[in-house]
Amino acid sequence: MKLLIIDDAPEMLKAFRDILEAYGCEVYVAENGEEGLTRYAEVMPDVVLMDILMPKLDGISATKKILEMDPSAKIIVISAVGKSGLDNECLLAGAKKFIIKPFKIKELMSSINSLVSMNERN
Amino acid sequence: MKGIESVRGYQEEIIEAIPSTIIVVNRSLEVLYANRNYYAKSVAKRERDVLGERLSRVIPSMLIEKTGIIDKIREVFLTGVPFDGDQIRYPGGMFYFYKIYPLKEDEEFISKVVIFMENITELTRLEEELRESYVKLENAFAELKENDEIKSEFISTASHELRTPITVINSYVEMFEGGMLGELSSIQREKVAIISSQIEHMIRLVEDMLDVSRLESKALKINKYLIRIDDIARKVLDDLSRLAGLKEQSVSLTIEGELIPVEGDDRRIKQVFNNLLTNAIKYTPKKGKIEVIITDEPEDICVSIIDNGIGVAKKDQQRIFEKFYTGSGSSLTRESGRMGLGLAIAKGIIEAHEGRIWVASEVGRGSTFIFTLPKKV
Repeated sequence: MKLLIIDDAPEMLKAFRDILEAYGCEVYVAENGEEGLTRYAEVMPDVVLMDILMPKLDGISATKKILEMDPSAKIIVISAVGKSGLDNECLLAGAKKFIIKPFKIKELMSSINSLVSMNERN
Repeated sequence: MKGIESVRGYQEEIIEAIPSTIIVVNRSLEVLYANRNYYAKSVAKRERDVLGERLSRVIPSMLIEKTGIIDKIREVFLTGVPFDGDQIRYPGGMFYFYKIYPLKEDEEFISKVVIFMENITELTRLEEELRESYVKLENAFAELKENDEIKSEFISTASHELRTPITVINSYVEMFEGGMLGELSSIQREKVAIISSQIEHMIRLVEDMLDVSRLESKALKINKYLIRIDDIARKVLDDLSRLAGLKEQSVSLTIEGELIPVEGDDRRIKQVFNNLLTNAIKYTPKKGKIEVIITDEPEDICVSIIDNGIGVAKKDQQRIFEKFYTGSGSSLTRESGRMGLGLAIAKGIIEAHEGRIWVASEVGRGSTFIFTLPKKV
């Protein structure tokens, strides 16, 4: 399974990589929304894990742009921002799930797996 | 009999007794009369020095220049319209107020005017003081509001900024616990468990901070479904039984009456129970007693959480529901792991449900925290 992580915190990227590689995923990373768009086109990942607050291009705009490029993109927004209404804003932009930090690895994996199996069913 | 009739015959005494200065002048602006108050305030002490003299000679020239009173008097003679008052500042910080009234003879001809003059220095000073105090108060209030906003902003930012590092730490702890980073020795496993429980504690603190900033910005979302209060109470008591067990406390739940489901946010009400019961366990000594009584009342469901712990001093009972309030020192001691948010959050949640929350307590005897949830359909 190919995963693209878009997050501007290098420690977070490293942790994601360590966890997801331990689960046997192929992990690609990008440090901002703009870079994320380029990486998406190159990699065409099964699932994207997207941060919200990032330089250059924020997560919500990046989500919209990726979906313009690939309407079948599976994007999970993972944010530290707990502002109410933000979850709806992300889902409205086309994200499939909204997870707030901190999360349990199990919770993350089950979200990823459910999106991927949905993909396979289609 | 008209009221005025009762004073007829006493006019002189009354005019003399009036604590303002009264001067009557004729059309040539010669003084015909000045009352007792005039003599009390003026350098001229005898009638013969004043009567028949021109007004400009018997009142201070400064006053005449400043007020233009002579012109005003002429105008009143000319128009017959009273001059209804003006405030003048006198050098040395004195304030005067004066009025000019025409005295008509046979309805038409104005032969005299009466001038009332009052020293309002004290009044003006008080007024100014009041105005200054008001401005100071307003400024202080604005500053306080700004500080409060900065503080709210800080809580919100801190709560957000802590999330990423906590997530990173938590992820590795989970990986250790899950054996994904190699098998741990029993001693390593024990220490990792400690890190894990401390991170959970940190997560709860960060969640509390976020809840408080949500409450402050009125952004706390309450999802309403039909919930059973007794089920929530059972669940939380079950979750906390281990904690109470460590202190050998007896915990009981009593339901009085037939409980119907009410509208509320399952997760949030659970949080209220959790905050109140955690406090009860914390502030009740070993082998103490904690009772939860849920009563069906006509209008609402009433939950009492009763302990026989250390209690809350009278002076703290109102304030313990304020955020960051951790007691005045005597009854509630500063403990680590507390930010003084639990009760503030509980209050916010209950009020968002249109319920009420309060405490009854006696130091050394125990506390009863009570909250209600309306039964309206």
